[in-house]
Amino acid sequence: MPGHRTRIRNCGRIALLAALLAACQPGEDAEPTASAVARRLPVVFTVSYPLAWMADRIGGEAIEVVFPAPDDVDPAHWQPTPETILNYQGADLVLLNGAGYAAWVQFAALSPGKLVDTSRGLSARLIPAGEATHSHGPGGAHDHRNVASHTWLDPIFAAAQAKAIASALEVHVPNAPAGLERLQADLAHLDARLAAVFRGWSDAGVLYSHPVYQYLDARYGLAGWSVSWEPDEHPSDAEWQRLAERLRNQRASVMLWEGEPSPATTAKLRELGITPVVFETGAWTPAQGDYLTLMQQNIERLTEARIDGGNEHHP
Amino acid sequence: MTDILYLAWRYLLFNRWKTAVLITAITVTMFLPLALELVLERSTERLRARAAATPLLLGAPGSPLELVLSSLYFNGEVPATLSYGTVQAIGDTGLATAIPLQIGSRVGGKPVVGTSPDYFSFRELTVARGRPIALPGEALLGAAAARTLEVSPGESVVTESETVFDVTGSYPLKLHVVGVLNANGTPDDEAVFVDVRTAWIIDGIGHGHEDLSRPEAAANVLQRDGENIVANAAVIQYREITSTNLRDFHFHGDISDFPLDAIIAVPADDKSGVLLEGRYQAPTTSVQAIRPVVVMDELLATVFTVRQYVLAAVGLVGVATFATIALVFVLSARLRRGEIDTMKRIGAAPGRIGAMLGAEIALVLATSVVFAGTLTWFATLWGESLLHWMLSAGA
Repeated sequence: MPGHRTRIRNCGRIALLAALLAACQPGEDAEPTASAVARRLPVVFTVSYPLAWMADRIGGEAIEVVFPAPDDVDPAHWQPTPETILNYQGADLVLLNGAGYAAWVQFAALSPGKLVDTSRGLSARLIPAGEATHSHGPGGAHDHRNVASHTWLDPIFAAAQAKAIASALEVHVPNAPAGLERLQADLAHLDARLAAVFRGWSDAGVLYSHPVYQYLDARYGLAGWSVSWEPDEHPSDAEWQRLAERLRNQRASVMLWEGEPSPATTAKLRELGITPVVFETGAWTPAQGDYLTLMQQNIERLTEARIDGGNEHHP
Repeated sequence: MTDILYLAWRYLLFNRWKTAVLITAITVTMFLPLALELVLERSTERLRARAAATPLLLGAPGSPLELVLSSLYFNGEVPATLSYGTVQAIGDTGLATAIPLQIGSRVGGKPVVGTSPDYFSFRELTVARGRPIALPGEALLGAAAARTLEVSPGESVVTESETVFDVTGSYPLKLHVVGVLNANGTPDDEAVFVDVRTAWIIDGIGHGHEDLSRPEAAANVLQRDGENIVANAAVIQYREITSTNLRDFHFHGDISDFPLDAIIAVPADDKSGVLLEGRYQAPTTSVQAIRPVVVMDELLATVFTVRQYVLAAVGLVGVATFATIALVFVLSARLRRGEIDTMKRIGAAPGRIGAMLGAEIALVLATSVVFAGTLTWFATLWGESLLHWMLSAGA
């Protein structure tokens, strides 16, 4: 599987790149031979797993794709070490998700010519996610507008990002258009399946455990609403109280989680008439399979929950 | 032979003031054209080499010479800036790699050059100690700058305040030295390199302070109105970027509008260079694209013309000086007629007397040559810096 291959290659590639960088240190006789240069594949670093998966699908064996974020850190809030940033500097291309995802990029010393913002031409489709203004000194008020960042949860948005990746890879990958075509077909198929499984869900009421599903919500017209609960933390009494208050005005029969909630949380949600369903965003490199298999598993869980939810709450 | 040299030496020593004046006059007459020629040749070679190694330079409309001197030699300032959006625009064309340059502040008199990692590969600069820049607040020093500032990787330097009389302006920023470059005999040796974002933070375009939306910042908040928070003057802006406060730094506005002094464009090939240059030739464009080597050739042509006049003038002065010195020796020989007659009477052959007078002249000339050579050597050491200073002062 392409995604699985990407994951396996990560550590080896980082080591290879580190070795190349180390070899370039001054004072050492480290001039690469012509044949070694000829053999070297273009190296593409990404800031998220979905980008790595898409780049790998498009570039295939013609490129090396590296997504170095550790498995135990949310890539959206990850802060790479200086050494990791130096590895990014050594890449031929750095694929950015845009939409404010992986904010560390705006403070890393990276070559602007290597950065590819895959959401750059899609600003009209970005979803606002609150804004803050502060003022101090003579400069007046400063706006800090935010947009939702998990763009790939809308497969059609992801397909547009894939097109941007293919354009950037064109120089390095001769058959990029063919890889893009296959990828876009898969994403269109995924979109159709998600559309089918989500049909009618807006009436049932959808609640999100975290404000990361905006693009999924917008794409399938779910009209859901969100709290900020972590799967591995049991919500406090105050949080349950706030939820109960909101449920008086807003309907929710299904709650999407990034990970499996605790049994206690699950039980209490069911008491409130809410079925928890794990819908993994794919921000992390999956332990097995790739982005498509991850989404397939999400669809299966949604289908199952829909049946359960229908029986329990919508007879 | 030794006795002739001894007599000549004793004569010159006895008439030490006359000898000193003669040696000074001859030394200066030889030194001036020699030093001028050597210093100009070496300096122009290096100046031109750096310009020739920079294919295209983009800046705001204005004096191309000021743009070149500021961006390539870090001398002087550019009168106007262009926007960072131009870097993105060049990247979009696919014709060239755009390297941003923002040269504003100074550290201990050394220029702080904000740029991107591409600059180091483009100039073939290698790290001697430490590592390249990865994060804001980090600095990579040129070899001479590190020597002058007496800092090594792991230590820090502080930028000079540009706003002594502006209490509301930006403040000095503490920079962490992460590496020192190998010397390459160019103005890069004298520079303090930072990421372009660090340069903007130094300029006050970006800054860091505590998160005003958090409850613990309440003491520094004057007013909260929905999403708008008005802070009071007690909000302290961070003067150092660390791993713990990095996330509290932010920029205001669109990064595309942020200022740059110049952009070095490295075209993929000659054709791309011509195409890119053509895009910025329209009189209505707000960006000028120049070929630094052309600008430097024009400057050096002027310098060479001036040099010809100066050399001609020095040559005339030299001829006059040597004529005067010849006259001094002739008149001196006449004044010494009594001394010469005495030498003849005590048995000195006319040939030996002539040899003694010749030895006196030879000693004066030899000493002058040694002095002129030494001075010329010193001039080649310091002359380039002097020429850079003169060029920047005249720009």
